[in-house]
This record gives sequence, structure tokens and C-alpha cells, in this order.
Amino acid sequence: MHLGLNDDELVACVSCGLCLPHCPTFVITGRDTESPRGRIALMRAVQNEDAPVTDDLIRSMETCVQCRGCETACPSAVPFGHLMEGTRAALADAGRITPRWQRLALKGLRHRRLLMAGSTLLALAIRLRLVPTRRLGLPARMPLRRPPLRASGNDVWLFTGCVMDAWQRDVHLAVQRVLEAAGVGVEPTGGAAPCCGALHIHAGLESETKDMAWQVMAGLSGDDRPILVDAAGCGAALKDYGHLLGTDEARAFSARVFDVHEWLAGHLDELRSRHPVAPLDITVAVQDPCHLRHVQRAHQAVPEVLAPFVTRVVALDDDGLCCGAGGAYSVMEAELSRAIRERKTAAVARSGASVVASANPGCSLHLAATGLDVRHPLELVDQALSSSRV
Amino acid sequence: MARTLAEATRRVLGSRRRGTRSPAVAPSAGAGDAALVADLEVAIGADRVRADAAARYLASRDASIYREGNAGPVCYPDSTADVVACVQVATRHGRAVSPRGAGTGLAGGAAPLGQPVVLSMTRMDKLTEIDLDNGVAWVQPGIVNLDLTRALAPHGVHYAPDPSSQAACTIGGNVANNSGGPHCLAYGVTSAHVLAVEVVLSDASVVTLGDLTAEPAGYDLRGAFVGSEGMCGIATAVAVRLTPNPPAVRTMLLCFDNVSDAAATVSAIIAAGIVPAAIEMMDQRCVTAVEDFAQAGYPKDAAAVLLVEVDGAAGGVAIAGERIADIARRNQAISVRTAADDDERARLWKGRKSAFGAVANVMPDYYLHDTVVPRTRLVEVLESIYEIVDRHDLLVLNVFHAGDGNLHPILAYDSRVPGADERVHAAGREIIEMSLDMGGALTGEHGIGVEKREYMSRMFSAVDLDQQARLRASFDPHCRMNPGKVLPSAHSCSDIGALRASDAAGVWG
Repeated sequence: MHLGLNDDELVACVSCGLCLPHCPTFVITGRDTESPRGRIALMRAVQNEDAPVTDDLIRSMETCVQCRGCETACPSAVPFGHLMEGTRAALADAGRITPRWQRLALKGLRHRRLLMAGSTLLALAIRLRLVPTRRLGLPARMPLRRPPLRASGNDVWLFTGCVMDAWQRDVHLAVQRVLEAAGVGVEPTGGAAPCCGALHIHAGLESETKDMAWQVMAGLSGDDRPILVDAAGCGAALKDYGHLLGTDEARAFSARVFDVHEWLAGHLDELRSRHPVAPLDITVAVQDPCHLRHVQRAHQAVPEVLAPFVTRVVALDDDGLCCGAGGAYSVMEAELSRAIRERKTAAVARSGASVVASANPGCSLHLAATGLDVRHPLELVDQALSSSRV
Repeated sequence: MARTLAEATRRVLGSRRRGTRSPAVAPSAGAGDAALVADLEVAIGADRVRADAAARYLASRDASIYREGNAGPVCYPDSTADVVACVQVATRHGRAVSPRGAGTGLAGGAAPLGQPVVLSMTRMDKLTEIDLDNGVAWVQPGIVNLDLTRALAPHGVHYAPDPSSQAACTIGGNVANNSGGPHCLAYGVTSAHVLAVEVVLSDASVVTLGDLTAEPAGYDLRGAFVGSEGMCGIATAVAVRLTPNPPAVRTMLLCFDNVSDAAATVSAIIAAGIVPAAIEMMDQRCVTAVEDFAQAGYPKDAAAVLLVEVDGAAGGVAIAGERIADIARRNQAISVRTAADDDERARLWKGRKSAFGAVANVMPDYYLHDTVVPRTRLVEVLESIYEIVDRHDLLVLNVFHAGDGNLHPILAYDSRVPGADERVHAAGREIIEMSLDMGGALTGEHGIGVEKREYMSRMFSAVDLDQQARLRASFDPHCRMNPGKVLPSAHSCSDIGALRASDAAGVWG
């Protein structure tokens, strides 16, 4: 089976193995089938050596969290994310992965009203204890009502996305308040850009993702305003449109996208000079979302932005190993996902922090399900700003 | 070669070209293996045995370009008892056993021959005991070299041998290959840091070789075992020596306009009676390949760089550092830089230790030798290497442990280009012949494995090789442990018998 992978990208792995300790699934299972090097070797076997696509080979691909920790560890810069996305696209096209119910659920993310109404229903069901939240990895409490999004100016877009907007609109509002405190006029994207397509590309739904990318780009066209993103996974996906679509327009769009911390790190002085702040008296452990650290490579902005607003920021000592959330991964591969999470919660315990700051909603939900106090970094900044105002 | 590769792949993964359809359930390792797999599953648990094509395909290879390995069922033992049980089952079924660590080996040592039961030791990765008073720790063989050193860090000690692959490679693999590393110049290679090894022998008995006393009684069987490439048994626990962290470290980057000046500097440093912790050399092509990844500030315009580290008491380190800088300048160094802090030092080492992995920035494949030559002839040897490589129209990246003359000429090529494989192997052979003619040795630290097996006769006489085979046979009379490695076929007792005919039988049956 030809997987449609770029041959030069595929042969770029020299099998040195330096990726192994940075792969969350290899670290847990110790099996080559669950390692980046092994997965690439299997892709090659299928594409170049005509090896059959067995169920075990598919499992090897499905168990990948797509954290891309292997990419930052690779001295030869093998673009593993592209290879895995291409492989999944080929397998999904052949109907070998991503079952119909999952495709249907993903389709729903594009339909904003449906998503909002469905989320409210789910929130209600959770209140009525009709849903086993823990087993499904859902938050123990979800908002029944969402305060409306409102524009305060047009200096920047704030990308609000799909599930995050439905489940964690509070975070968007906090982020908006922080940006406004720095003197920036914010326009939330809301219905103009319903969903970035990150979960779709991870599931191998390439052509659907491309449609969604065009939709988002059309919704945010017309000016060169920076597009700020407070979810690391969405930011990584939007920044990849240039590669996904391969057009100049898409590349120009991607160049406008910034993780909100990345952008704020360049505007910290504005924020601090306007508002002298008493830092919150807490120790915060920064959890680096993989798509911020390994894909956007902008994770250092988080502690930089956070530092003036809390008394102590600590880094985790696990080399940025994935937490196991991986978008839909925590549902699709629940067992492995939880085993990976245990390593992360152990690292948090070693850090001695009382609060975990996570710049990605998926990681945040996944970690909060263990009982940790997980907050978006800018929620903490917002809290420090608002308590100083009083 | 490309064709052989395709054949090897088909042999292990099967092929639809032969009319086999992709089955709904992964095929087992051939119908004949069903009983073996069932017994292994009973012995250590079904979730720790994999016999499907994908698992076996990946267990058939390491980081070398050798692709003829052919694994049987793959087991993931958790304990010495599991290893014993697997060896017993394998023996009962007339099968050999091959151990596997992280598969970072560069000579095919972990590539299983003849469909043996593969024991992947990755789950036995615990640090089981630290005895600071006696400077010893017991570890399981699957522990990653760097993880061990990190776990020891709070105690102010470390495990000294630091192969370039230390972030991924395991102590078990280090023991099998008697691995070296940059810091082995001052501290010695693995055998100097392994005090005792618990081993499961081919008859499934468990013995401890060596002990923790200063002068163990009797023959040094531990010494015979370290470096035996899995052919004398399977290490299930290793007592490693703990080395106190040096109070002061200085890391220097010396840059040169030509390789000869760099090599002359190495000789001059040693001749001056200084013993640095490490002296590493990289040539320009290698520096270019690693710098983009490591961002360590390596100059891409220098013909060669030396990474020199001195450690010890602060006063001595300062003096040695000054003297080395002095020697370098006298040998026309174009720049001498001292790492300002731990971060800069870490980045310089990251660059050096990612050299092999960074080759694909230049070419997608590489073939590597690790001959050791007398340090005094380094310049001559390097010039010969460049000449050989030019003649075969290839690229070479030179990165090596200059302090002890252990070369690593990386022949970078693209196996998709017709004829490239042949040229690479021809050049490799010439480099080995030349190194041996200069009074060198076949391998410094990567092991013989299968890749360098046939060169053994060039280095050792028939009598030598027979004695090596007898030593091996005293551990493993029926050649059931990692058969087919190191010794050329004419000297490898009944290995040929262990390499079952099933090799050719195909997987899908």
C-alpha cells in the first residue's frame, strides 16, 4: 500500500534511537512497535517494501499520541508529525482507522450551534449525574451557561475554537481581560472560525481538515491582524495551514498566528507598566503542552509571562514528556493515556507546586481529572491583575 | 543491497505479492511457532509476548544498516525469573535466545539470526540498590545509561562511561559491547565500571560473575563476560561502580584551520602529561551536520574542532586548562573557547553526542567503522581516510575519540542511488585494512556484531579465533545465546546448527 508519504522525509530517519526516551508510549511499554523509530520503519516497510497492513501495524500507528516529542529530540529533524498524519490519512481513506461514530462526532465540531447546544445538554446530564464523567475523562462540572463573547476593539483576533469555547469560555474571557489590560483591543473569532481541524488531521481526515482550514482563513481574511491562540493544539494546527494547503495565502495566514503567551512575552512591559501587581502567593508548576513545546517551540514564553504574577514558577523535571491527553487520544486509548498521565502527575508531585498551569485545554482537562488544580496560565495572570485592582 | 533489503523485509513481514492476503488477525511467527508462543505466554504472561509480524520485524534490526536479522517471538521479561523461564522454553523448543536493549547498536549485535526468541530487556529498567559507602549500585540491564546517571545525581556520583547514545542506550547493551564514550579516556571503558554481573546461562542456571571485593578470587569471568555481545549469557543484574562527580570541570572548544593541526594538538596534550577527561574531534562536515540541531555555537567554517574537557580539583583544572589553551595556540588553533556555564557545556556535548543521528542532515544512510589506531599516526590515518573516500566518490563525516585514537569515520550515502552500497562497503573495507596496517584494532567500542564478523580473521589468527570460540563454548556449549555473532562462521562451533533452516521458510507459512 502506498501511504503517499514523501520519500525524502521517510528516509531521513537513520534509526539512531535518540527519540526513544522522548516517546511517551515507548517509555511506558518498552516496545519498539510503540516507538517513533519503529513506526517509521513500519511506514517504510509498507510504502517501500510492500508489507501488508496488519492489525498490529495499525495499532502501532493508532497508539501514537502525536505529541511530536520525537521531533525535538531528532538530530536529523525527521518531520515525524507529517509522516504520521500522512499515514493516518492513508489508513483513514482505506477505512482502516477512525470509525464512523468518531467521524460523526468530529463533524459535529464544525457546527457551532449544535456543539453549544450539545455541550449544554451534556453539562445538564453531568449535573444530574447521568454521565460517568471519570470513566469518560470528562470534567466533573461543565458550565450550563456561557457569558457572551464580545469585541473590545480590532487590534488582534482571539481564536476561540470549538470545544474550548463550549466548555471553557471562562478561559477565553480571562485571556481577553489580560490582553485588554495590556491596552489591546480584542475581537474573539467566535462563529467566524468555528474549528481549526486539529482533531480531524490527527484522525487522518485530511480533506475535511483542508475544507475547515479554508473556512477559517476565509473567516479571518481581509486584514493582517495577528491571530492569538490560547489553546496550544489549535495554535499548532493554524500555524501548519501553510504546510497543509501549500499555498502562499495559507503560508501568509500561518505567519499571522501566535500563541497568546508568545505574543504577550513581547508585550510584557505594556502589561506591567499599566498595572503594578502584587503576585499571587502560590507555587505554580508549568506543564508544557506538547504542541506548544515540540511543535510551536514557544513554551518558554509561558513561565516568562507568568513569572511577574505569581511568587514561584517551577519547571517539571520530565523533559517535557507528554501528559497523554492528545486530543481525542485520552478517549480512544484510555488505558495507555492514563499510564502516561501517571508519570506527569508524579512529576507534578515532585515539583511541590500547588497549582499546575497548562496552556492547552486538552491537557488541562486530562490532568484535572486526577484532582489536580489545573489553570490556564493567563487565568492566573488575570486573577493577579483583578485582585490588584481591588 | 536494495533488493536484499526488500527480500529481508518480505521474509519477515510477508508480502501480498506472494498471494498472501492481509489477514484480519496478525499472523504468528509461522505455524511451527504456535506451540513455542503458547509456552512462552504460559511462562511469563500473554501480555508480555509478541509474535506478530510488526513486532518481529522491528526486533530484527538495530541502528546499523544490517537488515538480515530475523526475530522469532519477542518477550518482555520483568525479572530474572522471567528470563530463566524464557530460556527454558526456548531450549525445550530447540530455539536460541537473543537479548535486546534499546537497539542502538551499530554493528548488528542485536540483530537476531535464525529466528531466536528475542528477549527485549526494556522493562527491566530499575535501579535496585545504591550503596554509597562502597560506591556500588545494582541495576537491571534495561536501565538507560543517562537515566542511571540522573538517578544518581542527588548523591553526587555518576556512572562514568557515557556512550554518545547514552540518552537511549541501556546498561545491558553497554555491558555486551564493553562500550566506551568520550569520558572513557580518563575513566576507562565499561569493564572498569562493572564489578559483578548476574547472568542467566544457556542452561537456564543463574550465576553471579565477579563480586564486590577488591580482589575477587579465581579467574576474572566477569571480565570475560563484559564485551561478549550476548554470546555467553544474558545479564539480568549489573553491579556498577559509582564515580564521584568532579568538584570542577572545564570544557573547551578548540578550532583549527586544518585537521592535521587538530591531531597534532591531541598528541601534544597527551605528550605534555595531561590526561583530560575527554578529547573529541569533529571535522567540518560533522560540525555542520550537528550545529543546526544542537545550537551550541560550533563554528561551521573551521576545518576541525576539538572538544576537550578537564576535571578534578579546581586549581588543577585551571592550570590544565591554561596549558591546553597554550598548546592549542602553539599548534595554530584559530580560536580557543571555554564554556562559560553548565548550559553552554551541555549544548557542546549535545552537539557531539548527536553526531550519528544528525547524519541524515547530509545523507539518508550511513555506514560506520570504529577502528582504533595509534594516536601518533592519527594525521596519516585521517589523510588516508579522506583519500579512500574521495576515490570512491563518497562523503565522510569524521567524529571520534581523538584522545585514544578511536575513529568513527561515518560514510554518508543514499542507498537509493544505484551502486552506492557497493562503493560504501568497498571504502569501508579499505579503511579497515588501512587502519589494521597502521597497527590499529578492528573496533574500539561498537562491537563486532555481524557487520565486522568477517574481518576478525584479518586481525586474529586461526588459533586465536579457536581459543575465543572455546571460551564462548565454555559458557554456552550449544551456541544458543545470540548465535552467529562476532566469530567468523568457520570458528563458531555449532552456530550454524542454531541458525535454523526456518530462516528461509517465510513467515506466513
